[in-house]
Amino acid sequence: MKINAKDVASGVLLILLAAVGLWLNMDHTLGSARRMGPGYMPMLVFWVQLGLGTLVLVLGLFSGPDPLERWKGIDWTMLILAVVAGTLVWQVSPMFGEFFSSTYNGVGLGMLVGFLVICYALGWRLLGFICAAMCIFALLLEKGGLMLALAATILISAMAEPEHRARPIGVLGLMIFLLAMCWWIFIKQLDIRVAVWPMQY
Amino acid sequence: MLRRRAWLAGGAAFAALPAIARADSGWPAQPIRLIVPFAPGGTTDLAARLVGQGLSARLGQPLIVENKPGAGATLGSAQVAQAVPDGLTLVVSNIASHGIAPSLYRELRYDALRDFTHVALLIETPSVFVAHPRFPPEDLGGVVRRSREQPQGIDIASSGAGSSNHLLIVQFGQVTGARVNHVPYRGAGPAMTDVIADVVPMMSDSLPSASGHLRGGAVRGLAVATAARHPAFPALPTFREQGVDLVSNSWFGISGPAGLPQAVTERLNREINAVLAEPATQRRFAELGGLISPLSPAAYAEFIAREVARWAPVVQASGARVE
Amino acid sequence: MDIIGNLAHGFAVAFSFQNLLFALIGALIGTAIGVLPGIGPVATISLLLPITFGQPATTAIIMLAGIYYGAQYGGSTTAILLNLPGEISSVVTTLEGYKMARNGRAGAALATSALGSFFAGSVATVVVAASGPLLTSIALSFGPADYFSLMLLGLIISAVLAQGSIIKSIGMVVLGVGLGLVGTDVQTGQQRFTFGIPELSDGISFVALAMGMFGIAEIILNLERPEARSVLKTKVDSLWLTKEEWKRATPSVLRGTVVGSILGILPGGGASLASFGSYMMERKMSKGRHMFGQGAIEGVAGPEAANNAAAQTSFIPLLTLGIPANAVMALMVGALIIQGIQPGPRMVEAQPDLFWGLIASMWIGNVMLLVINLPMIGMWVKLLQVPYKFLYPAILVFCCIGSYSVNNNVFDVYSTVVFAVLGYMFNKMKMEPAPLLIGFVLGPMMEEHLRRAMLLSRGDVMVFVERPISASMLAIAAVALLAMMLPNLRKGKEAALSG
Repeated sequence: MKINAKDVASGVLLILLAAVGLWLNMDHTLGSARRMGPGYMPMLVFWVQLGLGTLVLVLGLFSGPDPLERWKGIDWTMLILAVVAGTLVWQVSPMFGEFFSSTYNGVGLGMLVGFLVICYALGWRLLGFICAAMCIFALLLEKGGLMLALAATILISAMAEPEHRARPIGVLGLMIFLLAMCWWIFIKQLDIRVAVWPMQY
Repeated sequence: MLRRRAWLAGGAAFAALPAIARADSGWPAQPIRLIVPFAPGGTTDLAARLVGQGLSARLGQPLIVENKPGAGATLGSAQVAQAVPDGLTLVVSNIASHGIAPSLYRELRYDALRDFTHVALLIETPSVFVAHPRFPPEDLGGVVRRSREQPQGIDIASSGAGSSNHLLIVQFGQVTGARVNHVPYRGAGPAMTDVIADVVPMMSDSLPSASGHLRGGAVRGLAVATAARHPAFPALPTFREQGVDLVSNSWFGISGPAGLPQAVTERLNREINAVLAEPATQRRFAELGGLISPLSPAAYAEFIAREVARWAPVVQASGARVE
Repeated sequence: MDIIGNLAHGFAVAFSFQNLLFALIGALIGTAIGVLPGIGPVATISLLLPITFGQPATTAIIMLAGIYYGAQYGGSTTAILLNLPGEISSVVTTLEGYKMARNGRAGAALATSALGSFFAGSVATVVVAASGPLLTSIALSFGPADYFSLMLLGLIISAVLAQGSIIKSIGMVVLGVGLGLVGTDVQTGQQRFTFGIPELSDGISFVALAMGMFGIAEIILNLERPEARSVLKTKVDSLWLTKEEWKRATPSVLRGTVVGSILGILPGGGASLASFGSYMMERKMSKGRHMFGQGAIEGVAGPEAANNAAAQTSFIPLLTLGIPANAVMALMVGALIIQGIQPGPRMVEAQPDLFWGLIASMWIGNVMLLVINLPMIGMWVKLLQVPYKFLYPAILVFCCIGSYSVNNNVFDVYSTVVFAVLGYMFNKMKMEPAPLLIGFVLGPMMEEHLRRAMLLSRGDVMVFVERPISASMLAIAAVALLAMMLPNLRKGKEAALSG
């Protein structure tokens, strides 16, 4: 028996998501075939997904071998640590000021911390820095303005590339170039509605 | 070529800037943001941009229209409800977010009356019942009779669940006892396609989106929900004339966050009503199929309070409810 | 009807200096915004609407139409170069187009896309002019049951977009349909799977989903494989198509044009089926079918032609019924109404200048796009020679701004991050995101039509087999499903036995 670990994992993922969907769908009325309620279509879809997931899983037991990448101990540890740290920061973030209790800033801060924590593990580093770079953009944009948000995004995303860490001067040049270009395209030409400098609105 | 800010400020605003505007108090010292809680391109968006152009000329500051669609126009409205009341952030208040949503949504993030300073009403557009040309009933009485003859009632399309057009169908059923079967669509366009194709025989639509099809003969008008006949369609009878006491307009106006300074509110109201009185605006709005109805800030607030009270029982009867 | 005379009149209108100028401006703006991820034609056209108030109606609509197809062209460019699809049609372009770019054939892919689109656009313009009013009856003959069956057929054939196992990719389609269910239920207005988040009440954002799963996930994966980056950088062969490529692409363009012209007429979803309907066809019928998945030129030529043909013929419902087929068309209606013109059946007689002028300018717009785009291919390909360490922060920055500007909401940026993580995971498990995206787009439409059909038929399922259109769609779907499943099952069994 050659296990196709990728297919088995896919099957498990499909089954899990279908189960969550079916569970959440218990809130919705099914209705009749004539006047279908909001829950009718989700029910059909998630049952089909459950069936397909099972099929993928079972076939995956025989169609291998196709192993997943190996996870080291540190990968597991940091994943758990990152989730814990992120959730914790999200939950306590309203204490840092009113900013974090409005809209999605608290969640955003939690995500940022989580992605930065996970970067400690080499296997997660690229994913962590790229996602953290996007989070800091969202976090800084509305109060800090476009320029500050972009600068922070470029800085964090550059950390993903070892060559940039060795030669930070290139990052500076890139940053100046991109800031100028984004200002010209998005503010001067397209005039998107966003604060450009800190505390503009 | 895309320098909107430049030509707003340069071309339109300063050329037409009245001298008094500058002599007035400090407001507005900065550009004004007008939040349109709908996706770009709809009647509301177009009208807001039209008024915005005139208003920025009169106030001497650019007025920037920002679309913030979502959650039945409540997302953009909630944002303005929480904004600083300095008169620099305004919202297009409308029947969906300020008339129906208070009874439709169980957890609305704002109070349609207390969290806003209502400034001015812009435009009212009536609802209309249209039918496929070969649909037998000639009038509403015929529709009611036919709905009783058919075992499953009569299908009537609308632009969406919880819209004012949907609620008019519910009210129609309540008042006349007709057996109606509501068929919701995602927007007026697809619903109209199916009425023209005779998939659904009837539709409740707003007059601006139906007027072209009415004029072209693709659909036939049954009744318009105004108090008196509409000037653009003098041959179209009202609901009242046919013994059904229903008047239903969809409307929108301009509001700011609660606690707007009175001077700002009054100045805004004055300037908006002046823009509405310009012949160019009147002509454009007539093309959009709407009726201009200038109101004072207090009258507009009362108007909204009446609307909220009016829709509550209808929403209840429709069974629509957003958790 | 005197088509030649009318077209001549249309060209006379379109060739006025002002109209030509604005067609060019529209095409330029459209191309530029199409290249920027997340910034679509809808936002741009609404920004530009106030300018059109002061223009003659014909000029205004010519410019807006130019933006619309310009954006289509531009969107293919980022799909090919950066694996960044801006809309559903360019998702298909990423499949073979991005692979071609990685094989060093970015120039050929871009040229095929431009030439194929131009050809299809020209043909479709003639179709609109010659038989627009006639074809309207096709659009009107589709009832809810027929649309449901069409969508179902679309979902089933979309499973072939994936390279791996059919069952797994059908699973991805279904997962996509599930994601598409998030949001407000059209029939009752109830919120489903939104967790009380108001931003989700209009559903998950397509831009966030596509950008995250394709664009951002691709950045992370590229950074992981340094060898892949150097391939991207060094291997840039000639920009133009080889003789062999011409021979392979031409029949695909022809087939794509036919498929796109027909599907584009159907309002509400027809056009989004065009590009991957054509992809499926090429994968099954073309000579290069064995090369699919490794950068087959047929997989760029056919879908790009289909997409552009559909973009043109989707004007038919607007011009003859006054019913917009998509959000861009809705904006066009708005622009016309502001001008005091009601689009509809009477427009052809009442506004001959506008109608024929627009049709002529469609063709002129396509010529201009070709003229703008062909010389730019060299520049775009040079972009790939920028070292990846400088390119990826730029892509990321554009994605951030793009995802924010769709709704002016940071929520969309965070959702993009979530989908990037998901897309990365899918890649590690060999689960393909393209079928998921198509399920996501078609699923909600399918539900809507299913429920409406059942409501109108009073719960009678027979409506799906009694209507000839619906019945034939279902029959094709069943055959397609069987044809795909049989070899797959056999292979699975062989693998099981030999193991």
